[in-house]
Amino acid sequence: MNSDPPDAAIAPNSRSKEITPVLKVENLTVYQGTYAAVEDVSFELPVGTNTAIVGPNGAGKSTLVQAILGLLPFEGAVQILGCPLSRLGNLRYQIGYIPQNFVFDRGFPLSVSELVGLGWVDHKLSNSAQLPVFPHWRITLPWKTNPRKAPAIAQAMEQVDIYHLRNRAIGNLSGGQLKRVLLAHCLVMPRRLLVLDEALAGVDLQGEADFYTLLNQLKREHGWTVLQVSHDLDMVSHHCDRVLCLNRRLVCQGQPEEALSPQNLLNAYGPSFSRYQHHH
Amino acid sequence: MENLIELLQFPFMQRAIAGGILLGLLGGLLGCFVTLRQLSFFSHAVGHAALVGIALGVLLQLPLNSMLLPFTLVFGLVVLYLIDQTDLWSDNVLSIVLSGALAIGVILTSFIQGYRGNLMGVLFGDILAVNGADLILTALLLLGSSIFLLLTLDQQILLTLNQAIAKVQGVSVQLHRYLFVILLSLAVAVSIKAVGILLVNAFLVIPASTAKLISQRFTKFLWLSLILGVLSSITGMLVSGIFDFASGPSIVLVQFTLFLTFLGFSKLNRKNSEILNKQ
Repeated sequence: MNSDPPDAAIAPNSRSKEITPVLKVENLTVYQGTYAAVEDVSFELPVGTNTAIVGPNGAGKSTLVQAILGLLPFEGAVQILGCPLSRLGNLRYQIGYIPQNFVFDRGFPLSVSELVGLGWVDHKLSNSAQLPVFPHWRITLPWKTNPRKAPAIAQAMEQVDIYHLRNRAIGNLSGGQLKRVLLAHCLVMPRRLLVLDEALAGVDLQGEADFYTLLNQLKREHGWTVLQVSHDLDMVSHHCDRVLCLNRRLVCQGQPEEALSPQNLLNAYGPSFSRYQHHH
Repeated sequence: MENLIELLQFPFMQRAIAGGILLGLLGGLLGCFVTLRQLSFFSHAVGHAALVGIALGVLLQLPLNSMLLPFTLVFGLVVLYLIDQTDLWSDNVLSIVLSGALAIGVILTSFIQGYRGNLMGVLFGDILAVNGADLILTALLLLGSSIFLLLTLDQQILLTLNQAIAKVQGVSVQLHRYLFVILLSLAVAVSIKAVGILLVNAFLVIPASTAKLISQRFTKFLWLSLILGVLSSITGMLVSGIFDFASGPSIVLVQFTLFLTFLGFSKLNRKNSEILNKQ
């Protein structure tokens, strides 16, 4: 499905096949009024990594993610696929995002296949950093559907095992099923960066484990680079290969075994922290 | 029946039916997003605040549309701006602005000298008084709304469902919100002459809400909302002709009856599904 090489993020403005980090954050600070909710954070996401942002409540994890995605104003610099955030153009379509609170009207008349299809954009558009003549309009004629769209939707639903739910209204899904549908929404076209903001809040432990297994499988197959916010340190140490410990500032970063050391956790969470471990 | 056929041959009746169909389509189309974006009270407030525009028009002796259209448009945009600029819930802001606008409207009407029949007519509407210019205006608005909403349908649905995901996917959420409010405000203004300030919201809310009760897919929801909008307009006009009722309220009554019927049907359907699931 994804025809692009999964093992390289190519700088769109460069003809050379120079490998650039999928995401580069430099001195990022986010103010909420006069309060700096996130302060002077810098890091890079190498291609194909699965990175978790952990930290206590109020550490600024979601704020950081929202700033990186351009949902909040910030100071500093963010580059995605080698392009500054403000000049991403159609490269935006290569970012998949599952938000923390996917709250919606349970009576919203939208089927699973329709929701998955909303993530689809013509591939020709998605590989260019240049802005189209009418940026962000993505005009489509309702009577002229792209012949590649329906097979892409079906394939995405099959990959996350929700094809049997295709005609079900999204309001009739369980929490775990909804997360899979949102994953299919990201999967329906080639993406390079997948951002999950506590995407599994409210999902039971088994559902969470199944989701992570699926996510890692898809990451390998499609060459995704994953950035996720999580509270579950046990799950993070099992499934992620990099960890950023945040408490307004970046306390530490590295592989799970070093970043989640007792001393680092004490620095990030404070002295009252105790770690609960569960087994899957 | 013969009287009805005779009635349908009058040009004013033909214009009224054409107006009803156009308004049914316009309300059905915009209503889909009004109900899902929880803008019912917004369109209600714009409709009621139009009293100020109407009173100003009467006082300045200007044609109705030349004052009403710009007023509702500016009012809609200002209200959306205020909602965005305050930390208050949108219904608080709407209540405050609506109360203020109504107060100004009532005070302005007290300055109107002599006959106030025009003003009362606008409050309660008269679809039989729709003229050719009104029809053209409504048709143009319907055309503009259709082009805008249907050509960007995926983005409209996505930003209605979740603004954060829409923004990440490059949808200009704010631009789309303001453009929609412009269309909505104009739709309220052109509908007022036909159904009046007090019932204008019904065209935008009832057909779409009825369609929502039994729809699981957006495409079905959209088509059903359009069909119910047109069906209730035509049926309401016929009921009005047969029983000699006021036209606007007759259409709204048909919309209301359809809503109750569909509500009963959806409840029954859900109950049957639950019984089947238990078996």
